[in-house]
Amino acid sequence: MAEIKWETDLQAALTLAEKSHKPVFLDFWFDG
Amino acid sequence: MNAGPYSDKKVQQYLQEEFIPVKSQCFWDKRTEAMKQFLVSWTPTLLVLDSSGREHHRVVGFVPSDDFMAHLKLGKGKVLFDRFRFADALKEFTAVTEQHPEAGVVPEAVFFTGVADYWNSHDPKGLRRAYDTLTARFPESEWARRAQPYAQIPL
Repeated sequence: MAEIKWETDLQAALTLAEKSHKPVFLDFWFDG
Repeated sequence: MNAGPYSDKKVQQYLQEEFIPVKSQCFWDKRTEAMKQFLVSWTPTLLVLDSSGREHHRVVGFVPSDDFMAHLKLGKGKVLFDRFRFADALKEFTAVTEQHPEAGVVPEAVFFTGVADYWNSHDPKGLRRAYDTLTARFPESEWARRAQPYAQIPL
């Protein structure tokens, strides 16, 4: 199983979600 | 980048197959537009959105793998529920209770199972069954108290 392919552009992700009929999972993270 | 629950193969597979996964880095000294848009004030903040960008479920703070999976399924169910796709939502809420019985969100999933069942069947017995399950398994839960009005529904 490949690792998760993260999108970093929310608008691009929403477009993919519209086409695929999938919801978006959005992870806000902090590198600290 | 794949740490915590993301290192779990089941989480990886489920996220990749059932969602469009997005990472958004936070900067506290210069808040991003996404942080402002979604009012993010702590990390991790995990959101389930529909394709219009509307938020349907939020988790703040670390959650281990099983709880994480349960949140994903509950969130997916809420997206369907909010779009009046009650039969599909019911499957997701039921998956939470059956596949992740120890997860913290199970009482909430039981409550929404009852409501989705009611909307799907127009039979109020589902609400009563949710009340019975909540009072039997999670009597201290707020969700048991929220289901209190359904105690009078005859089975």
